[in-house]
Amino acid sequence: MATLSELTTRLCRISQEHFIDPFSRLDWPESLERDQWFMSPELLSLHGTRHFDALDEEQRQRLSFFELINFFSINIHGERMLIEGLAKRLYRKNTETVSPYLHHFLDEENKHMFYFGRFCNQYAGKVYAEKKFSVEREYAEGEEEFLFFARAMLFEELVDVYNRRMAKDQQLVPIAREINWLHHFEEARHLVFGRRIVEELFECHASDWPGQVQERVRDELVHFFDATWKEFFNPEAYKDAGLQDPYDLRRDLLADESVEARRQALSERCARTLYKVGLLTQESMQ
Amino acid sequence: MSIDTRDALRQWIAGVSDKTTLESLADDTPLFRNGILKSVQVSDLILYIEELAGRAVDVEQIKPGAFRDIDTIHRSFFTHDHA
Repeated sequence: MATLSELTTRLCRISQEHFIDPFSRLDWPESLERDQWFMSPELLSLHGTRHFDALDEEQRQRLSFFELINFFSINIHGERMLIEGLAKRLYRKNTETVSPYLHHFLDEENKHMFYFGRFCNQYAGKVYAEKKFSVEREYAEGEEEFLFFARAMLFEELVDVYNRRMAKDQQLVPIAREINWLHHFEEARHLVFGRRIVEELFECHASDWPGQVQERVRDELVHFFDATWKEFFNPEAYKDAGLQDPYDLRRDLLADESVEARRQALSERCARTLYKVGLLTQESMQ
Repeated sequence: MSIDTRDALRQWIAGVSDKTTLESLADDTPLFRNGILKSVQVSDLILYIEELAGRAVDVEQIKPGAFRDIDTIHRSFFTHDHA
């Protein structure tokens, strides 16, 4: 297996060779009719439930528009967290190996936020608000560093499942499909980097953490994944799509067996690296 | 109305915490200082507050200490001068 240094050198080279300028690459229609598919129907939060069955095609397509705005909003907030954390880590002690790649990472995340933000503002006139709330606290040696990269990895693994599916869905509006493709194309490198640095940091610090710190780290990552998943069920988007009782709807959906089965399947996929290092088990993600 | 909201919050907190009971949880019991809730549970608490209030909570406007106890949560999110 390549060392972290060899991996970052390779990723830097690929980022340079496949540099994408999203400012000129995307063809932005002035406006978009809402009676089209913006998000793949099977990815809609209501899919597989009686609430989805009760909607006609026009309502489902309208919902797909606002759920895509919600999905892009989730990406904007997640990438802002990443950009803040990556910028803080540039040229810190012990980051000499990865700093060259952090420049590309930052540059690419900034460009992603540009197209997500433009889509939301141009076609919906809004970005939905973030729901995550963090509380300041003390950390054990290496804990904050590990949690930052592990959260980033879980987040990117989750949104990439959606990106990959929608990048191939021919029924979607072209600009929506293209943005999903572009994001997946660059995130694939971030994921390779993310999985590797999570493994390295865990190996470096975890054996020094007492049991209660390991428990705290586990707890925090499980709750982070759960909170991110729940952001896909946004009552504000349901209200905009014309659905009744949006807060009751969210509660109903999150208690639905088919939704829970989808969450479990996704969590298994997204947490693979954390299973591999032995921090989490399938039971801890349930 | 406000009594119902406090009771609903009390039931939710007692339901998710193994460090308290419905009977021992007063409106001024410190939730985080006493370890009744963990910081990772705040996101779920915000979703529950939204459900009770029937409207979105603006996370960016939440003031420090807004989740200190049931009374403070009530004052912060269910009165006219809420966050």
